[in-house]
Amino acid sequence: MAKLVLAAGVPHPPRLVRDIEESPGKTKGEAMMKQVRRYVEKAEPDVIIEVDSDHFVNFFYNNLPSFCIGMAEEAEGPQETWCPMPRYVVRGHVPLAKALFKYGVHDKFDLAAAHELRLDHSLVVPLHFLNPSMELPVIPIYTNGFVSPLPQATRCFSLGRMLRRFIEAWDGKERIALIASGSFAMDVGGPLRGWTDTEWVETISGLLIRGQYQALARRATEERIAAAGNNSGELLNWVTVTGAVGNAKPLFVEVDDGYGYAVWNFD
Amino acid sequence: MSIYQINKILYLTDNDADFRKRIKENPDQVLKTFRLSEEEREALTSGAVGKLYQMGVHTFLLNHLSRYELFGVNRDNYLSRIREGMEYDERFEEGRMPVQYFVKEK
Repeated sequence: MAKLVLAAGVPHPPRLVRDIEESPGKTKGEAMMKQVRRYVEKAEPDVIIEVDSDHFVNFFYNNLPSFCIGMAEEAEGPQETWCPMPRYVVRGHVPLAKALFKYGVHDKFDLAAAHELRLDHSLVVPLHFLNPSMELPVIPIYTNGFVSPLPQATRCFSLGRMLRRFIEAWDGKERIALIASGSFAMDVGGPLRGWTDTEWVETISGLLIRGQYQALARRATEERIAAAGNNSGELLNWVTVTGAVGNAKPLFVEVDDGYGYAVWNFD
Repeated sequence: MSIYQINKILYLTDNDADFRKRIKENPDQVLKTFRLSEEEREALTSGAVGKLYQMGVHTFLLNHLSRYELFGVNRDNYLSRIREGMEYDERFEEGRMPVQYFVKEK
């Protein structure tokens, strides 16, 4: 059976790539990405499963699934012209993605699947830091974090549990790292751009530190998420990952404004 | 309501380089190919960000107006425009737009 060797959560600000180039050693983001990277390296994964929300690059209102498994052989990104960072080709892992799709549907998760993908910054920025040279194959799992009605956080938590069962049932030897991409709370393009709902950020980090994942899923209602800014649905990716970690508590949870960083280790 | 059409125009602006070129060079002709009400067309072409926001355009997509400087919108006026029609909120004081970096288009 395959093994979940590590879970982590990181944000995906494209500007961080540029900030580090221009003033290395100055940002908390750089220090945190390096810290998470060290744990990823130590865990020696063979595959990354990344839970992420597309920002109208791969999906649009014409076809927007609540949950979708990426099963492209490879895909390019970030596609956005406004991302000051390298563009990468990211390899997929088709057999594992197909098996996950089938396992999920049989487990009554009505997932979508995509054999062709246009990767946005939110998928690629974590990989830029955690998967240098894109050496590991990546299976994206997309959650709809931005278009109402969002999937229920409790459902995302169940999706994470299913993911863990799948990993342990998969007839392979892969060591799997599970990564949540997203901030805790942020407003992008809305009237509150620049403001951070620090109360919500503290609530989230506190519940994560104490391992109260189901309480977090119950409290992360669409209404609460929306009150924290239009980008705050990315929390669903974190909630999905907490569904997979079982009773394990994180090694650390660090907050930087509306961003969160955390690592769970299973080795 | 055809807010979908406005969302689509903004989505294509970000994702389709050829469309982006056309809407910058000849917006009237491009907009003719979309089913917009008079009110929507007026709000879009006058860069009335607040109005478009109230009408339900997704803020991620609305933000592209400032990124690509369409219809007179830019990063310096975006926040004040989107707040037009809203009651004052003290959280506005913390508001700031990030610096935009672009990969130059050929």
